[in-house]
Amino acid sequence: MKRRLDISSLNVRALMSYDACMRCGECTETCPTGGEAQDVEIVTPRGKILCLREFIRRQYGIKARLFGPKTIADEDLRELSERAYECTICGQCKTVCPAGLDTIDMWENMREFLVVNGLGPLPAHEPLVKSIENYDNPWMQPRTQRSRWSKRLGKEVTVGDSLNQPHEILYFVGCTAAYDPNIRAMAENTARVLAHAGADFGTLGNDEGCCGSTMMRTGLSEAAEGMVLKNIERFEQASPSVVVTSCAGCYKTLRQDYPRYGRLPAPVVHIAEFVGGLIDSGKVSPVVRVDKTVSFHDPCHLGRHVGLYDAPRRIIESIPGARLVEMERSRENARCCGAGGGVKTAFPKLADDISGMRVADADEVGCEVLTTSCPFCYQSLKSAIASRGSEMEMVDLMELLWRSLQTPR
Amino acid sequence: MSLYLATLIKADMPDGRYMSEKAWLYVPFFAFVVLVSAVILLLPYDTVYVRDEVYLYLFLVTVVVCTAVFLLGTLYNMLLWMHGKGLVTTPERRLLRLSAKALRLLFSRAFAKAIAVFVRDSLYISKLRKLSATRWFMHVMILGGFLMMFALDLIVTLSLDILRYGPMIDEGGWAKLWIRDVGFEVAGAMMLVGLSIAAVRRFGLKPKIVRTELPDAASILFLFAVVAGGFVLEGMGIAGAIPGHQENVEYSFLGYALSSIMPASSGDLYDEAWLVHGVMSALLIAYIPFSKLFHMIVTPIAVELEGLLGDKGAVP
Repeated sequence: MKRRLDISSLNVRALMSYDACMRCGECTETCPTGGEAQDVEIVTPRGKILCLREFIRRQYGIKARLFGPKTIADEDLRELSERAYECTICGQCKTVCPAGLDTIDMWENMREFLVVNGLGPLPAHEPLVKSIENYDNPWMQPRTQRSRWSKRLGKEVTVGDSLNQPHEILYFVGCTAAYDPNIRAMAENTARVLAHAGADFGTLGNDEGCCGSTMMRTGLSEAAEGMVLKNIERFEQASPSVVVTSCAGCYKTLRQDYPRYGRLPAPVVHIAEFVGGLIDSGKVSPVVRVDKTVSFHDPCHLGRHVGLYDAPRRIIESIPGARLVEMERSRENARCCGAGGGVKTAFPKLADDISGMRVADADEVGCEVLTTSCPFCYQSLKSAIASRGSEMEMVDLMELLWRSLQTPR
Repeated sequence: MSLYLATLIKADMPDGRYMSEKAWLYVPFFAFVVLVSAVILLLPYDTVYVRDEVYLYLFLVTVVVCTAVFLLGTLYNMLLWMHGKGLVTTPERRLLRLSAKALRLLFSRAFAKAIAVFVRDSLYISKLRKLSATRWFMHVMILGGFLMMFALDLIVTLSLDILRYGPMIDEGGWAKLWIRDVGFEVAGAMMLVGLSIAAVRRFGLKPKIVRTELPDAASILFLFAVVAGGFVLEGMGIAGAIPGHQENVEYSFLGYALSSIMPASSGDLYDEAWLVHGVMSALLIAYIPFSKLFHMIVTPIAVELEGLLGDKGAVP
């Protein structure tokens, strides 16, 4: 009996795209993992495309139709799988691809294919996946601790419970900002800024579930479906006018992936977009001077994936004294921080190498404060700053804004 | 344990509909192949330059076979795509449904929009222009020349063999001079310039991003041989003053230049050279679905698919 790779999980469009690749190599130079950090062809977009295309051709191509499918060695499949998971899915290849291929979609879809064929996710991802399945968060923390971050807020900030009482704004905190003690400040400062603006906001408290991003990025889209539908049900119950996220990963997932599973009852906006609007309308006015040279690192999930570039910069420019300086590679050409796509979990050394390059980018332009709007970028860049011994300070965008909103003492 | 064990595809026994679904695709497909072949074989070819009829028939048989191979190769590639997500029946059935949908789209507003995007992204390749002016120029020359030659071939065949349009046939006719002579020369020259840049870059300069394997080298060299061969053939015809190459020869400017370094006796080998050039051109067409050149057909479709069908990769 002939056994073949199951290609039924690959999108038709992705299958076409494997043939549409012009092999030009434009993507190889700026690929952070395949090109810049390692210089290994198979990790680059072109390398992955040609490798999987060849495997598919061997089993489904014209020769396979005429003479039967050829066997592919297990070690070759394993190599493709490992290498495919070295990709941060930053989307730099999509920016530079002259053919205009939607490579972000291709890589996520390729991982679905690897999962279906028993080749993914990698063993290193298993603890994360199990934790999400068992605890509804990747950090093996109990559900009852999800809203603990808000206990540290002073009395002047009230975080409502959107499931018990409707609030205009539903703040979707995200697992990392809710549980990670080093990132909690991101949630706290977001809440402070919203309270400062007089916004009527609440959260789902301990009932907030993982958005499913980790599952989707590692190829477990089907397993993520339950989480997505549960969150959508909670959103419907909370019936907000708008859902605000401070995590770039949650934002991309809620905004781009959720509509594939179900209808969201309210629009999803990132906190940078939301606060940018508040600044424009005069509801939030930064007053305290922050005399620093500030660079904004565009998180891939916010920038290339969704196209949000201006709002964070408008916030920085509204802060008195802050001088926004762009790194050589910014906006759609911004270098990745190295943490995305499960790379930080499975290949920490590779992720560190890439984040080191990004910090070097910031150092080159004399940046004093490096800011971003993603907990994963924040974490990896902060650790790269420390390991490089740089003087630069890593600050979350909402923290930077909050510094300028507090009444001078 | 083999990884395949987990990924066993069910070996479903074909049911009653299996053959009928295949028939719905293959019967019209082969009818189309027969129709194209009949058109190719039945055209009068009164105005071709080759003098030996045997060579003409050899060429025509090659064209028919190569066209069939091109169409079959394209069909099989498309059937492979149809194995993708959402397949509920057979790839053949799915391709049929998609073809029906594509036909309906031809008359929709979405198609007009897609054409505009196609011109910007696939013909003009605006994105590549921003990345590298040289590579953009190279690509525009090759693709532009190829498309121009294809369009001219259609126009000339239609005018000569079906409409019998006088100015296209007469030695001094405006269409003969400006379309058959200058037009083809310009298209060929464009391709030659683009291919020369590609060859220098790939085989000489070898920038880091270039990966040269057999499919890359074969595509460039094959195209180069066909295009350059066309000019050599033209030069041989002019040098040998064979019929159709005696008046206003300077309009075929590159062939004319080449003829100056060719002996008049080269005209004796014109028929053989004509056959070699014709067969190579036909083989190039057959090679497209199996080569990297296939990207010129599939890239615009892959990029436009979302705009045409709506949801990402959602093929009926």
